[in-house]
Amino acid sequence: MTTQSVRAEAEPRKTPWRAIAGVGFAIFFVLFLAVPLWDILLAMIASPQLLARQLVIGLTNGVYIALIALGYTLVYGIVELINFAHGDLYMLGAFFSLTLIGLFALTPETPLEVRVPLMFLILILTMFFTAGLNVAIDRIAYRRLRGASSRLAALISAIGVSFIFQNIGLLWGYMRFIPQLNGVMGSNAVAPKSFPQLIPNQNLLEGIVPVRFTVKDLVVLVISVLLLIGLYLFVQRTKLGKAMRATAQDRNASALMGINVDGTIALAFLLGGAFAGASGMLVGLYNGTAVFDMGFTAGLRSFTAAVLGGIGNIPGAMLGGILIGLISALSDQYISSKWTNAVVFGILVIILVFRPTGLLGDGSVNKV
Amino acid sequence: MNVRLRSGLIGGVFGLLITLASGGEVAYLGGIIAGMIAGLLVSQAEGETALTAGARQGLQAGLVAGALVVVGQLIRGLAISPLIELDAASSGSVLMTALGGFVIAAIVAILFATVRTLPAPRDTYANFGLIVLLIIAYPWIDRGLRLGFMNEVIPVLIYILMALGLNIVVGYAGLLDLGYAAFFAIGAYTTGMLASSHFDIEMSWWLAIWIAVAVSAIFGVILGAPTLPLRGDYLAIVTLGFGEIVPITIRNLDAATLWIGNIAIFEDVDITGGTKGINPINRPSFPGVGEFSPSDPFPWYYLIIAMMAISIFFILRLRNSRIGRSWAALREDELAAESMGINLVRTKLLAFSMGATFSGFAGAFYAAYISAIFPESFRFDVSVMLLCMVILGGLGNMVGVILGGLIIQFADRLFLPQMAGVVQKLSQQSGIEWMQEVNFASDFRLLLFGLTLVVMMLVRPEGLVPGARARRKVAATSGTGGA
Repeated sequence: MTTQSVRAEAEPRKTPWRAIAGVGFAIFFVLFLAVPLWDILLAMIASPQLLARQLVIGLTNGVYIALIALGYTLVYGIVELINFAHGDLYMLGAFFSLTLIGLFALTPETPLEVRVPLMFLILILTMFFTAGLNVAIDRIAYRRLRGASSRLAALISAIGVSFIFQNIGLLWGYMRFIPQLNGVMGSNAVAPKSFPQLIPNQNLLEGIVPVRFTVKDLVVLVISVLLLIGLYLFVQRTKLGKAMRATAQDRNASALMGINVDGTIALAFLLGGAFAGASGMLVGLYNGTAVFDMGFTAGLRSFTAAVLGGIGNIPGAMLGGILIGLISALSDQYISSKWTNAVVFGILVIILVFRPTGLLGDGSVNKV
Repeated sequence: MNVRLRSGLIGGVFGLLITLASGGEVAYLGGIIAGMIAGLLVSQAEGETALTAGARQGLQAGLVAGALVVVGQLIRGLAISPLIELDAASSGSVLMTALGGFVIAAIVAILFATVRTLPAPRDTYANFGLIVLLIIAYPWIDRGLRLGFMNEVIPVLIYILMALGLNIVVGYAGLLDLGYAAFFAIGAYTTGMLASSHFDIEMSWWLAIWIAVAVSAIFGVILGAPTLPLRGDYLAIVTLGFGEIVPITIRNLDAATLWIGNIAIFEDVDITGGTKGINPINRPSFPGVGEFSPSDPFPWYYLIIAMMAISIFFILRLRNSRIGRSWAALREDELAAESMGINLVRTKLLAFSMGATFSGFAGAFYAAYISAIFPESFRFDVSVMLLCMVILGGLGNMVGVILGGLIIQFADRLFLPQMAGVVQKLSQQSGIEWMQEVNFASDFRLLLFGLTLVVMMLVRPEGLVPGARARRKVAATSGTGGA
């Protein structure tokens, strides 16, 4: 009783910062943003085909961002570590798959019945590669720091691993001295590597609707969505998934319940790594290029997506990824590509100010 | 292990690496550094009070350190240098410099160990005085030995000044800031706009720096305000966002038009110079020195040293003040701090703006020193580098931050490139075809840097010189052994 009355007394004295921020933003909006946004809306209505095409691009980019974001969210949900190296892991996935494409001598001329199974084989090998790498990194660089007094030690370690991965990507370019890889590895070590056009860029909706929707879009969308659904079912329906959710909620309690905590954490790294690899190969095939420093921007965007959806929350990461993809595609078209990153982060800041735990996150209960 | 041997070895390893990378007269510098580290470490570990005992322990540690310097110099001078035909010094001069380094290491170690035996308050003063003396004398040592490191030393000091500011935010107040370079950029650009012909303002640098500091502090509050309701990693990601937004904005504001409703306040104004940046920026001038020239590093060095001294003084006072204590409370437990009557909003915003102040300070100096600024100089790498310096050295500990900064920056700017040069020469002579194309200076930089970070964190997760609290924690958990 007494505590309640004290709280009732104390509450009005607290400065309503959220409300002040809201009023400030409203004034800012009316003054500076209302007219440009109205112009953008008019531009969108003026050409629905363009808008639809941007939405398709945004959706495809969104699902691959979601794939990477899942790696962040899985790991963060359990060990509360921002795995800075995750974006670079995705880059290494792209490089690994490109190397295999070179070794198998896959070209757009390879007959379809050989090409498709080989591409699936490469996808699976890439996923194994990045998953194994991620687990190894956890074992070497992160596990020992889990008990450290400050969580920052693991963060710095992750930044260090990110630098190492980036450098490995740079050195990967020297593989062009292997004769079979001469074609795919560019003219020098640091140059962007180009993927062969293995998935045709043919418009599926030609003559049906005036919107471009290519085979590439379809393949990337289908594979990504299948992976996302698979992960969701794994976490929700299987015993291992249950163990992951339990570990995310309370590591000590789940250890007492007989869950192998270290193994579960390794599983999170394994799944996250596999998804990063898949995403690396899909993006490589979709965009046609891979550079050793592409992991940074991709990692940043994906992490933003994970936070946007509520970090630690799997559906949140998917939603966040797709939102970020759509926002960037629209901003590329209607604002200017040089402002896109600023727009993405601006929206992130605004959302976090009004919903500090992300869109779908609500505190610590619903992690993983 | 014997404390004297260990101190000597730690100091000696630094001297060894320095001489290995550079050779020649650098051995003297290696001797000074090795002796200083050995002397400081040995006197800290063993509290000798008699003058002669102190001198003896210093001598023993110094001899060990000096021996390693000699080893480094001999390997460098007799084995590596002839192989790469860089500086074909005669074996006589190699021996001479090695011996010089050895003697200097011993003398410096004795000095540092002896002053520690003075009675209570005076030992700290004397120790402090010796270090200050070394700092003041450094440009002359550099010139006398024709080292030519001054152009690297000044940027290193700029970074350390910023790391000290970041330490307020991350180390004292516990707010993880991943976009600290934004304030560096704001300080530098404010100076650039005011003290140059960009807007025809041509303000004196001495005035512009204070405006830059004020603007940075204001932006610290503006960018800090939205983060108030956030905690932990959400805070980190929002600051990271600002760290990206600020350079992007700077890059794109070369033809800005401000609309309020439908009315244009100004149209097509080049605010920041876009990717071309602002160039040139006026350099400061000082009575007796005239305008600071880019070829003479002496005035720049003393200017940044003075700025650092002022900053360190203020930061120390801040930490021990009421606001510093509320930062500590905030860092330990936000909820408990609030219930103890600490105004969270004020405390957090002050931490952000104080941190931004020192970054703006550094930015203003940087703009004048480089005399040209580009948006590319303020990328995320800068923020990460600074964060690594703070955490590697020891979160919340000023000595640790300075030490961490020195090690990371010198490794990155001097030691690794020098080493890379050596390996490059070796590989060119090996005659393997694909080795010719490898550029060791740029192709392994990140790898070595990353490895350093990971290994350092695995070996000493609490940093080189942990803050007082972390040290107590370690002592409490590990009992009497270790630490």
